[in-house]
Amino acid sequence: MAENTLRIVAASLLSGGAIQQNWALEVEFQGIAQDWVLRTDNAATLAVSLPRAAEYALLKAARAAGVTVPEPLLLCEAPSVAGAPFFVMRRVAGIAAGHRVVKSDTLGGGREALAMALGRELARIHTITPPREDLHFLGAAPEDAALAFIAAQRAALDRQRQPRPALEWGLRHLERTAPSPVPPRLNHNDFRTGNIMVDEASITAVLDWEFAGWGDPAADLGWLCARCWRFGNVAQEAGGIGPRAALYAGYGEVDDARVRWWELAAHIRWAAIAIDQAERHICGVERNLELALTGHIVPELELDILHMVEARDA
Amino acid sequence: MHEQPDAADLLETARALLLAELLPALPASKTFAARMIANAMAIAARATANPTAWPEPPDAALIRAGVYDPGTPQHDEVAARLLAIAQMRCAISNPRALRNHDLAG
Repeated sequence: MAENTLRIVAASLLSGGAIQQNWALEVEFQGIAQDWVLRTDNAATLAVSLPRAAEYALLKAARAAGVTVPEPLLLCEAPSVAGAPFFVMRRVAGIAAGHRVVKSDTLGGGREALAMALGRELARIHTITPPREDLHFLGAAPEDAALAFIAAQRAALDRQRQPRPALEWGLRHLERTAPSPVPPRLNHNDFRTGNIMVDEASITAVLDWEFAGWGDPAADLGWLCARCWRFGNVAQEAGGIGPRAALYAGYGEVDDARVRWWELAAHIRWAAIAIDQAERHICGVERNLELALTGHIVPELELDILHMVEARDA
Repeated sequence: MHEQPDAADLLETARALLLAELLPALPASKTFAARMIANAMAIAARATANPTAWPEPPDAALIRAGVYDPGTPQHDEVAARLLAIAQMRCAISNPRALRNHDLAG
């Protein structure tokens, strides 16, 4: 047997990932048994989602910045090998499922410790600044991330089959109260409960880098704290996991008002994504009950948005 | 006239059977799918049972243009109408969220 022979002993499709497929691979490589994860695209890919090669480069950049991510092992862009581009990373042990993580008082070292650790991870991600040759695919940073967000969301609403007055209400409020721009940082853009893998002691991996981009670092904090990402455990404001104060303490210096602005933005962004996912089902690109039900999250998000605007305007 | 029981009744009855007798017999890997089906049936039943008269939704373009901003004459009425519509939509899609909001004030 050649020294570099790789043998796949077992392969199984992992759950989760409406956009990507994740395969758990048990392999023997150079005679050593290893657990890998192979990540590749599903049939229908969201236009805003980055290709696998980009996600691989982000994993490498994040790892170099000290972020807890799975070790990226290899990238294959030739579609002839597996039908679509894919990359392989080392498999990390732990739990990511949001509804389970928010119920536990002990995972990740306990609520306080885990919220602080989330803050530290985000702070490390935000040490990455443009320009970066290895992250050229992210394009130029927006001059004003807040106004760019509003413009992008309005453009998305204009592409949809029906007007969304409640979302417009939220966007107009955001426009009236937009914070002044700050120097851009790398944003994970989906840093939330459900995408953070933890074991009993700590965070074991920050997953799902496919939406990363340059922006206002407070956007990541706002996305994590948004009520809609607390998995029902609304009292723990840092993702349903722990106290907001612990998250901020782990992060370092935080402009709370700026985070709150991005929290409202988070609800609008999630509503727009949910509408897009339902649209994939409705227009027939991908007939799927999970996508169909995602559309029915939107009314609750509208309620959240309207209540937040009312409180912020008071 | 359709024969009775009506669509909402059929969906509710079928859903109850799914949850009471099929779900406990399913392997763990299939319970998520069963719960999604139950949720879809519940939404469809509520939508069928509630042929409510909806308020006219405010004009999205005018909201965007700032015509109903705070301090304008129509602001309070438009805000109240948006909230009423969102509550009615929630009552069909996710009534639990409506209750959570009542509790939160």
